[in-house]
Amino acid sequence: MLILLLALIAAPAGAGEADGGVGQSSQGSAKKPPGAADAGEDEEALRRELEQALGKDAAAAAAQGQAPQTSPAPPAATGGATPPPPLFRGAQSLNPDISAILDATGGYQRRPLQFPNGDDPILRGEEGKKSVGFTAQEVELAFSAIVDPYFRGDVFLTIPNQEGLEVEEAFATTTSLPWNLQIKGGSFRSAFGRQNGQHLHVQDFTRRPLINSAFLGSDGLRGPGVQVSWLSPLPFFLTLSGEAFSIGAPDQPEAGTTLAPPVASFGGGEPTDLTYAAEAKAFFPFGDAWSVYFGLNGATGVSPGLFQPTDTGVNVIGANRRSYLIGADLYVKWKPPNVAAGYNSLAWQTEAIWRHLEDGLGVPGGWDGGFYSQVVLQVARRWFLGVRGDVLGIPTSSSLGQTVRGGASVTCQLSEFARVRAYLEAEHVSSGPSVPGVTLSPVVPADAFAAFLQLEISIGAHGAHPF
Amino acid sequence: MAMRRLALLAALALCASRPAQAALRVVSSIPTLGSLAKEVGGDRVEVDSLGKGYQDPHFVEPKPSLMLILNKADLLLHVGLELEIGWLPPLVLGSRNPKIQTGEPGNLDCSRAIPVLDVPTTKVDRSMGDIHPQGNPHYWLPPSNARIIAREIADRLSQIDPAGAATYQKNLAAFNAKVDAAEKKWQPMVKKVRGVKIVTYHKSWTYLSQWLGLQEIGYLEPKPGIPPDPDHLFRLIQAIRAEHVQLLLAEDFYNLNTARLVAQKGGAKLLDLPTDVGAKPAIKDWFALVETILQQLSSNAQA
Repeated sequence: MLILLLALIAAPAGAGEADGGVGQSSQGSAKKPPGAADAGEDEEALRRELEQALGKDAAAAAAQGQAPQTSPAPPAATGGATPPPPLFRGAQSLNPDISAILDATGGYQRRPLQFPNGDDPILRGEEGKKSVGFTAQEVELAFSAIVDPYFRGDVFLTIPNQEGLEVEEAFATTTSLPWNLQIKGGSFRSAFGRQNGQHLHVQDFTRRPLINSAFLGSDGLRGPGVQVSWLSPLPFFLTLSGEAFSIGAPDQPEAGTTLAPPVASFGGGEPTDLTYAAEAKAFFPFGDAWSVYFGLNGATGVSPGLFQPTDTGVNVIGANRRSYLIGADLYVKWKPPNVAAGYNSLAWQTEAIWRHLEDGLGVPGGWDGGFYSQVVLQVARRWFLGVRGDVLGIPTSSSLGQTVRGGASVTCQLSEFARVRAYLEAEHVSSGPSVPGVTLSPVVPADAFAAFLQLEISIGAHGAHPF
Repeated sequence: MAMRRLALLAALALCASRPAQAALRVVSSIPTLGSLAKEVGGDRVEVDSLGKGYQDPHFVEPKPSLMLILNKADLLLHVGLELEIGWLPPLVLGSRNPKIQTGEPGNLDCSRAIPVLDVPTTKVDRSMGDIHPQGNPHYWLPPSNARIIAREIADRLSQIDPAGAATYQKNLAAFNAKVDAAEKKWQPMVKKVRGVKIVTYHKSWTYLSQWLGLQEIGYLEPKPGIPPDPDHLFRLIQAIRAEHVQLLLAEDFYNLNTARLVAQKGGAKLLDLPTDVGAKPAIKDWFALVETILQQLSSNAQA
């Protein structure tokens, strides 16, 4: 049914997209001399032929990626003979670029998530039960402008699932420091890995990967802090950055719930305990079409421990242990620069994170980890197919059990400003965290399935995204 | 005291006698602007371009490697009018180069002095397609605009590198003389195409049409950036026949199959034309670019 809905919504796009390769047959059938205003040709026949030719092109475009390139241009029709209008530049203003982005999502899920992200679609439903419904998964309000000759300012406010205004990011970036340095200050997303720095509407799937909430926090590694980054003078692109954050303690679960939330890596200890992160990112272009972007990441902070909900409150197990994260990410993209050759592209993205927690009172420390890998294939100008696999618990530890998840998405990008996405996922929980001498509730059911249809629109002037 | 003064003089002499200053690094968003900078800058500049001539300038991938090129730039030339809005700003910010940030002398919006066409006169929104609210940015082909761009570049180079100001002005005068000579040489071709009726793929030939007196009858895109649909093409073919449109112009980075069908059905000739230096290996500068377009137009137009 989801696919049917998607097809219905995308149907006009399909018709519009039909501007692709014209098959041999249509050319063959048009052998009449190109006499203008050919009286012999039936108008209806021409109309049918155009529809048929463009219809064929859609199939050809899907098969060969032969869809057209179109690009923005001004409106109004000033014919060649018309004199130019007087020089006029639109109303100037010093307002920042303002935009709003909506992710409206509807669907089904077998059970609430074991590793929920702050920007996941939350459907009305009780613990352990299936739910069906709609939600405004996220509303993002973005403001950005150049502040003065020294700073650029960006503010991103989000409302996840219609509840509460959050400061997703609000930061200033320097523009005029010497020695290839750049400083970011305010509250922002860490450069740790690839998906962490991206907002929801840049993701290729409806949900973020499992490693996000398992290791970086349900909102990702983000918070008030400062970042210093340096572009090396080497002949290839290499940046090194260091960050310090004040990460707040995560919310404790309500009394009476059964499932323990994932053990957070950061946000424990004293208010003076900061979270530190460091990243190296290197980029290598191969020819015009291939790009390889590689990152190495590290972070350390204090874990608030395992929250075990009881009927009357919450037991905290293994609080205030130092945590260390090590991560690596790889992004490989193929996209030819001249789209006349076709509108296909391919992007492969993989990230892995390993975590070490020190020994705590009655809780052995140790290593745990996880990764995801995803491939997104652009099959036509407007159509993208994605698959992703997630694994958590390699190895398992007292803080992390084993979970695997598979997801697939079909995205139709109607324009630069609107897209519709169908997303399916299946998750299997093999085990949960296992602390010696403590009984923790298992996730029920172990196998879960979810399906969502997501509509994403962007209005206003929204800044370009980095590669 | 005398010794100290002597040391100071020696230091000054050392400064003065160091080898001639390294060339200024000019980076352009599209190769044509770089080509004009080379005309004006001569040996005093090294020119590099972020986009390629065979690429749609609206859609350049903002690869981090381009930040490296910008990192070492002394002057960034861009088309402006939001042509590069989808990819250039994050590159400029990420370049960590204070010299080329917005508002600095090393950042030149080449549209500054251009008489811009197609400036919307009513409130714009995206139901009109993917529009440029400040006007049509495809302005670099007509000689009058090339002269303006070259003058802007010469003035900016003189500001950044005052020692070369005389050279830049001399080169600018030489460039203008070359344009004069070219215009004289192109005169028969220009005359031949005047009044010719055309249809174009994207609304990016407006400035050329105005210069040459071409009559634009319609566009393959129903709205800028929106792909053609059968109904629109049907009406367009009717118009091509009724108006006796001779030529259908499309940039060589578009997929031309649909354009070919429309041209064939309407009885017009399809020309896939370059719009940027480097679109083909033989198109090495602005003169070759414009001459290629003119030759194609005049040899395919009937008087």
